[in-house]
Amino acid sequence: MRDDATLLRLIAEIARGDEAALKALYEATAPKLFGVVLRIQRDRTAAEDVLQDVYLRIWQSAGSYQPSAGAPMPWLCAIARNRAIDVVRRKGEVQGPVTEDGEDWVERLADPHDSEGAILGRDALRACLSRLDTTQRDCIVLAYCEGYSREELAARYDRPVNTIKTWLHRGLSALRGCLEPAA
Amino acid sequence: MSGDPDDRDLRAAEYVLGTLSASERAAMELERTVDPNTEAAVRGWERRLAPLAGIVPPAAPGSRVWAAIEAALRGRAVAPAPAPANDNRVAELARAVRRWRWTAAGAGALAAGLALFIFLGEVAGLRPGAPQSRYLAVVNRGGEAPALLISIDVAAGTAQVRPVGAEAPAGKSLELWYVGAGQAPKSLGVIGTEAKRLPLPAASDPAGLSEGLFAVSVEPPGGSPTGAATGPVVYTGKLIRE
Repeated sequence: MRDDATLLRLIAEIARGDEAALKALYEATAPKLFGVVLRIQRDRTAAEDVLQDVYLRIWQSAGSYQPSAGAPMPWLCAIARNRAIDVVRRKGEVQGPVTEDGEDWVERLADPHDSEGAILGRDALRACLSRLDTTQRDCIVLAYCEGYSREELAARYDRPVNTIKTWLHRGLSALRGCLEPAA
Repeated sequence: MSGDPDDRDLRAAEYVLGTLSASERAAMELERTVDPNTEAAVRGWERRLAPLAGIVPPAAPGSRVWAAIEAALRGRAVAPAPAPANDNRVAELARAVRRWRWTAAGAGALAAGLALFIFLGEVAGLRPGAPQSRYLAVVNRGGEAPALLISIDVAAGTAQVRPVGAEAPAGKSLELWYVGAGQAPKSLGVIGTEAKRLPLPAASDPAGLSEGLFAVSVEPPGGSPTGAATGPVVYTGKLIRE
C-alpha cells in the first residue's frame, strides 16, 4: 500500500488536483506522518493541526516534487518534520521533558521489525551513529526524532547552549565524514 | 560567519535536524529558494538522516483531521491566522538574517559590513492608509540609513520601494523578490535609484504577505535573465503590520 510506486502515482495525481488521490495518500501515510509530528509537537491537538497543514502543503507542492531528488516517503516526512519544527520553534516554548523513558532510537535502527521494509542507508546510518561520541549522538537523535531545541538539550545536559551547538556541529561533521568518507 | 561550504553544510544539517531557531529557519527557507547549493545541502542531510524518521512509531490521528483538510480544500474553512509577531521574534529574526546575510556577502559581490535590522512601529512621512491594509518593511544597514523602505498597499496591490542606502555593485542591478511561505521567489522588479511603485504578485492577501520575506539579490544589468534569483541575496526583510 505504501510502496514507492503507489506513492509516486498518488503524488502525480495530487499535482493534477485530484482530491481522491490526496485522500488515498492520507489514508496510506497519515499514521506515519502523525507519528513523526507527534514526537516533535507533543500536544495531540496541536499535532493534529500540524498534520492538517502538512497535507495542505502536500496538496500545494505535489507539483514541485521531483522523484529524482529522493524517494516519496522521505519527502513526505521532511514536510511533516519541517512543519512540526516550525510550529514548536515559533511558539518558542520549551516543551516539558518526555514523560516516558527515552527511546533508544539507535537500537531501533537495528531492529527490522520496527520499520516498514528496507530503508535506504539505514545500516550505514546506524553504524556511523554508533561510532559517535555518546553525548553528540544522543543530541543528534533527540533533536531529529523528538524535536529537542538547542535550549532543551542545554537544559537536559546542564550545559551552555554554545556547548550544545559545538557538540551538534562536531557530531554532524563526524557523521558526514563517516557516511561519505570521500566527501 | 563566512560563506564557506562547511558553514553552509552545518547550517543545512541543523536546519534538517531542527535545532535552528524560528528566525534562522526562516532565513534558511529563503536561502534554499535562491541558492541551489544550499538546497542541495539540505536535501543531502534529509537523505542521510531519513532512516531515523523511518523508525518513529506511527500514531493514528483523530478523524477531525481529514474532515478539516477536506473542508479547507473546498474553501469552507478560513485560512489559519499567521502567528502574531512580537518584539523578541523580530529581534531574533534580525540577528539571524544579519548573520546569514554576512554569509551571502562573504560569498558574493558586496563588501562586508552590511547589516539588516527590522523595525517595528511608526515611520514618519507615510500617508495614512486604511487600517489593516498597509504594511511596511524596513531593510537597514547597520547604524546607518535604511537600505530600502518598502511599503505595501494591499488595497492597491502595489509595493512602494524607496531606495535609501541600497547600492548596486558596478555593472550590476539589484532586483527585489517576494518569497511567500513555501513558494518560489517572485520578482517584483529591478530597483533603481529612484522611488518606484511595483505591482505585487497577483492574489497577494495580507495574511499570506506577512508570512513571506522580501529579498534583494545582485543580478546582471536589467535583472535576472532566468526569472529566478541568480546572484547572492544581499538584503532581506519581513513585513510588519503598521
